[in-house]
Amino acid sequence: MLDWNIIFHYFPFLAKGALLTLEISILSLILGLIFGLSAALSKLSRNFLLRNVAVFYIWLIRSTPLLVQLFIIYFGLPQLGIDLGPYISGVLGLGLNVGAYNAETIRGGIQSVPAGQHEAARSLGMSSALAMRRIILPQALRIIIPPLGNNFIILIKDTSLVSTITLVELTLTAQRFIGSTYKPFEMYVMAAFLYAVLTTTASFLLGKVEARTSKGTR
Amino acid sequence: MSTEKHQSETVPMIRIEKLHKSFGDLSVLKGVDIEVPRQQVLVIIGPSGSGKSTLLRCVNHLETPTSGKIFLEDKLINDTTHSRKAFEKHLNQIRCMLGMVFQQFNLFPHMTVIENVMEAPVHVLKQEKDQVRSRAEALLDKVGLRDKADAYPSMLSGGQQQRVAIARALAMEPKAMLFDEVTSALDPELVGDVLRVMADLAREGMTMLVVTHEMGFAEQVGDRVIFMADGVVVEDTSPQAIFSNPTEARTRQFLSDILK
Repeated sequence: MLDWNIIFHYFPFLAKGALLTLEISILSLILGLIFGLSAALSKLSRNFLLRNVAVFYIWLIRSTPLLVQLFIIYFGLPQLGIDLGPYISGVLGLGLNVGAYNAETIRGGIQSVPAGQHEAARSLGMSSALAMRRIILPQALRIIIPPLGNNFIILIKDTSLVSTITLVELTLTAQRFIGSTYKPFEMYVMAAFLYAVLTTTASFLLGKVEARTSKGTR
Repeated sequence: MSTEKHQSETVPMIRIEKLHKSFGDLSVLKGVDIEVPRQQVLVIIGPSGSGKSTLLRCVNHLETPTSGKIFLEDKLINDTTHSRKAFEKHLNQIRCMLGMVFQQFNLFPHMTVIENVMEAPVHVLKQEKDQVRSRAEALLDKVGLRDKADAYPSMLSGGQQQRVAIARALAMEPKAMLFDEVTSALDPELVGDVLRVMADLAREGMTMLVVTHEMGFAEQVGDRVIFMADGVVVEDTSPQAIFSNPTEARTRQFLSDILK
């Protein structure tokens, strides 16, 4: 059965790995929102170039595996003289990846706001940008938040893939201690437990955000 | 009232010249000329598909005219000599002077009633929030909804929502108001309150362009009635004349169809 001594001794180290996982998740979440919103607005824009850059980005990311994307950024780019190191490669790779999925979610949310809302805003003299910011996005948000939260939960779990580019987050921490303790079961169960704590906390917080954005709906 | 109303200044509030609008192959407006003097209530009636809503939407450029000119006072609304960016700015300025009320209300559902009314004066005209709030409260008072200031639109009836939409447009202190079938989506018992607000507005001297199926409103509140069919103005006369003695056969046909 479980070796509790091992668990008590190593738990703090894994918790530290989990903190790095959390940090990577939050940073790539922010990047992913920026990429996602930019790509969504670009894809909806009238500008031919912007629209096609966004379409290409979303297609490229969604049609290739995250692991290969991370390898290209971390192992491939240095060959072109761009050496970002494991931390930035990991955060950038995850951010770019989740951004493409967020883009489609955000675009769908924006398009689900009735056209009359845009017309009403414009008829009051609002510019397109002001109408987007004050009228369309706040309404799109309550449609977007649940699937966006889902993307974020997947992102937290996907951070385990950056262990393959030598970033010592939760999964790689566990793997390293297996080398010295020969206790893979304890180590991976602890890692799994800590991932579950992170994702469950995230879902709980997202539930709170959802409640706050549903103002005015019956 | 009538003497003051007909003392309009030389420049009409709205002037539409040779307006054409097509959607692809479908020609919806086929050369419309209309002048709306200051303080006039012009009611546009006609069968569905006659182009009357499109006409209204061309006035504040929610639809881009295919050709023709539309003026607000002496300003050309569809002035294509501007660069695209300058034109956007010009349009926003024009729209601040033209209030529009829609068939489907289009209130902002994520804002309370008073926030709906305050939104554009605060964020478009950049007016002082406290000042706008007291004006918004007065406007809600006027449309009989002061007690609903903090409600969300989804908690109101259609008639109440439409009156808020009117207050929201009035908060910009527009020179003229456009009403696009504003009672068509309402239950019959809610229509009266909305029409009363519009009649009050007419009495105060607002220039109004009203597309409607409410013949009672046209007759009692309108200064002038235009009958449109197939994208052209068929008859342009006084409410009394059009209802008691329409000259055109198509007008007679339409009126007998709807008054049946």
